[in-house]
Amino acid sequence: MHAETKQHDFEPKIVAFVCTWCTYAGADLAGTSRMQYPSNVRVLKFPCTGRIDPVFILRAFQKGADGVLVSGCHPGDCHYMAGNFHARRRFAAFRALLSFVGVDLNRLQFSWVSAAEGGKWVDVVTELTERVRTMGPMPEFKELEHEEQWSTFAGASADKVLNSPELKEAYDSIG
Amino acid sequence: MNAKASKTHVTCIEPAYYEAITEAIRKEAVQILKDETVVGVVGYLPGRRKGTASPALVTTAEEAGKLIFSPACVNNLSVYLTKAKKGVLKKGKVGIVAKGCDMRALAGLITESQLQREELFIIGVVCPGVYGFGAERTGTLTEANIARKCRECSVHLPDGADVAAGTHTELADLTPEEAEEMARIEAMPQAERWAFWKEHFSRCIRCMACRQVCPFCYCEQCLCDKNRPQAVESSPRPAGNMAWHLVRAMHLAGRCGGCAECERVCPMDIPLNLLNRRMAKELKELYDFEAGLNPVEKGPLNQYKEDDDQSFIK
Repeated sequence: MHAETKQHDFEPKIVAFVCTWCTYAGADLAGTSRMQYPSNVRVLKFPCTGRIDPVFILRAFQKGADGVLVSGCHPGDCHYMAGNFHARRRFAAFRALLSFVGVDLNRLQFSWVSAAEGGKWVDVVTELTERVRTMGPMPEFKELEHEEQWSTFAGASADKVLNSPELKEAYDSIG
Repeated sequence: MNAKASKTHVTCIEPAYYEAITEAIRKEAVQILKDETVVGVVGYLPGRRKGTASPALVTTAEEAGKLIFSPACVNNLSVYLTKAKKGVLKKGKVGIVAKGCDMRALAGLITESQLQREELFIIGVVCPGVYGFGAERTGTLTEANIARKCRECSVHLPDGADVAAGTHTELADLTPEEAEEMARIEAMPQAERWAFWKEHFSRCIRCMACRQVCPFCYCEQCLCDKNRPQAVESSPRPAGNMAWHLVRAMHLAGRCGGCAECERVCPMDIPLNLLNRRMAKELKELYDFEAGLNPVEKGPLNQYKEDDDQSFIK
């Protein structure tokens, strides 16, 4: 009955921001229908895709997500009438910004999954997980998290910065 | 504007032209203060050092006679209407000296109901350009010391102002350095782009000057100052810096008027206007929105169409 679980070298962390009215119910349907999909995904429930601030996505990447999924109701099906329409514009702009600063957009997926589309949820999650798995861990934001401000001066140039005549003079004047 | 078509190559702008603008501003400011159309005029007074100017709120006709306009009048004065001088608006109509780029900020603020058009008397300046950041500030404005934003100015004529100071001149036909830089970054491979911005952002000291000088950053409490829950790390470390600059660019998307004040005040020389320009370009491409000189009903991210592009959504 249980599908054979394959061993992988890398298990990506996927964070899914979903709206409670459609995609959350869709994921629930996938679960109650006993559909199998990768357990890499961590689902976070929001009232609406319009509530999902781009800063949440940044935060997810910073705190260790390798991929992010944002999913909500199909256009026209929003419980709050227009939340997903506004979200659509916002995320279109946010994608452009991320791309401009050099983030690989393949790690960020947007989808419309209705409450009846358990199968689509499984497809979206599986595809994103496998894609991110082949891409490997996302180092960019995590590296930033562990870096200190002066790390740009690391290595050979550290001597120059820390042993500048000005600093020496200032140090000597302390006595 | 017309400079492109006629290909006149103006390498420097005569000081006499700025003097003419100064005269026009003074005349208008004195007039509206005398007949009590306004309670005050936000403009520029000469700075203490030669070749500088400082923003000032003048309330008497006598003071208004000292107002100036020179290439050193770099500040976007609209910021004083939403932040530092918020109180003056309560007393009545206010006059403001505005260059084309400042007028876009005013238009944006009116769009967002932060200002009322009836409360303002806009003295528009037909601005031929201002000094660039850190550039030589003595003598005439030339190609060497003109601000980067002025090289590709599209709001030379202050349409929609109550009065316009100065007469139309040909703008110099300068290379659009900023547009070229933006194209260069866009052409980079993804990893190089990341390295480029990482290097720039890692210098950030989080002085928040870019926020304080921005006419659109008028929130009483900034998201980035909140710590429960903390959205953006507040200490000047690379992680928080990257988040802050992304949040800033995102919050200004579809609103920024492109006055490039953020870039001017940045003590670490981070090319912030490139981010703003990139977002403006995207919104132009996607939703055909451009920050203009006149208020609109809603910004591009505050409205939607049912058939907006969703090719990136599955």
